[in-house]
Amino acid sequence: MNYLQQETKHALAAEFVLGTLHGSARARFRQLMVEHSELADTVNQWESYFNDMALHLNPIVPDDSVWEKIQARLDNAKIKSADDNVVSLPQKTNNFWKGLSVLATAAVVILAVLLVKPIQQPVEDSIQFTVVTDEQNTPLWLIEIFTQKIEAQATKNVLAKANNDYELWMVPKDGSAPISLGLLAQTGKTSLPKNAIFEQIDIAALAVSLEPVGGSPNGSPTEVLYIAELAIL
Amino acid sequence: MDHEQHLGLLKKVAVGDRAAFQKLYEATSAQLYAVSLKIMQNRDLAEDALQEAFIRIWHNAQEYTPAKGKVLTWMISIVRYRCFDALRFNKVRQGNGLEQEEVLTSDDFVELTEIEKKQLDFCMDELESKQKQAIHLAFFGGLTHQEVSAHINSPLGSSKSLIRRGMQSLRRCLGL
Repeated sequence: MNYLQQETKHALAAEFVLGTLHGSARARFRQLMVEHSELADTVNQWESYFNDMALHLNPIVPDDSVWEKIQARLDNAKIKSADDNVVSLPQKTNNFWKGLSVLATAAVVILAVLLVKPIQQPVEDSIQFTVVTDEQNTPLWLIEIFTQKIEAQATKNVLAKANNDYELWMVPKDGSAPISLGLLAQTGKTSLPKNAIFEQIDIAALAVSLEPVGGSPNGSPTEVLYIAELAIL
Repeated sequence: MDHEQHLGLLKKVAVGDRAAFQKLYEATSAQLYAVSLKIMQNRDLAEDALQEAFIRIWHNAQEYTPAKGKVLTWMISIVRYRCFDALRFNKVRQGNGLEQEEVLTSDDFVELTEIEKKQLDFCMDELESKQKQAIHLAFFGGLTHQEVSAHINSPLGSSKSLIRRGMQSLRRCLGL
C-alpha cells in the first residue's frame, strides 16, 4: 500500500484522529508517522478540524483536587530529580505518561530476568528504560539506559532471523533522521556504548528496525518494526 | 482567553514556568474536562485522564508547533488520546457501571447557531445523518467500528463504509 497516496494518507490520518484506527493498524500508522513527516502533517490537519467539534461542548469546571494532584506530582518529580545525582537530566525531557501497560510489562520482564538469573549486585542503576513490544504488547526487549552504556535484554518472544539483524535507533524529537545505537542481539543481553549525542538531544522514542546482516547499509532504518518511548526511573 | 494568550503561556510553560502553567490550567481545564467527561462518562476517570493530560502538557510543551493547530486544539488532542488510552487500559465499558446522572447527553452541546459558523460545522451538516452520527460516536465515544455498528444497529461493514464515506465527503468539502 502506498501510504503517501493522497486518498490513503487522508483516510488513514482521519481515522487515526477519529480513533477508529485500532490495534496493530494504529501502531503501524504511528511508526509510519515517524518515518514520513507528511503523514504527521496530515494528522495535524485533521486534528485541527475535528478538535473544533470539542469546542462546542459547554465547559465544566473540574474539582479543585485535580489541580492539587497535578501540583503534587510535579513537586514529587522535582524532589526525585534533585535526589538523583548520578546524572543531571533536563527536566523537560521527562515523559511521565508512560502508560500502565508499559510499566506492567517492564515489571514482568524484570521479574522474568531476575527469576532466570542469579541476583547480582548492580554496579550502577539504570536511569531510563523502556520495553520494546510488538503490536500485541508482547515484550521483546527490555532496554536500560545507563550513564555510559545501553543494555538490551532480549526475551524469548524475539523472532529469530538468520538473514537479518535488528538495529536500535534513537528518534530525535525535532524530526531529524534517526541515529543508530547499534545492533540488538536476538537472544540474551547486548551491551552497547552510549552515543554521546544521546544526552545532547531530546529523544522522542527508541525504534527497532529490521536490517540486512551487519546493520543498515545506508545509515537510515530500512524497515522500522517497533517504536518505544523512554521512561525515566 | 484567545490563542495568542494561550501561546504566550505555553511558551513560558516550555521553560518550566509553574505560574504560567497554573494560568494555562485555569484558562483551559474546564473546556478540556468537558471533553474528557464526554468520552469517559465517569467523573473520577475523566479527572484522572485530565490530570495525565496536563502532566503531559507540562513535559511536552516544547513539542508544540503552529503546524499542530491552535494551542487549545493541540491540548484537546492530548486529552482525547489520553482518554482513549485509558478506555483501553481500564476497559471501562466492560467493567465499571456508570452512574446515570454522570452520563452526558447531546444537550451538553451548545447549539451550533450560537457559535461562529466554522467550515467544519458546515461540512458536517452536509453529511448524511447516519454518517454524522457514526463520526460523532467515534470521536466523542472512542468507539471502535464494531461498537459504532452495534450502536447504530448496522452491520460492521456498513458502519465502516459509513465512516469512510463520511470522511471522504468531509475531505472534499474541506478542500483537503
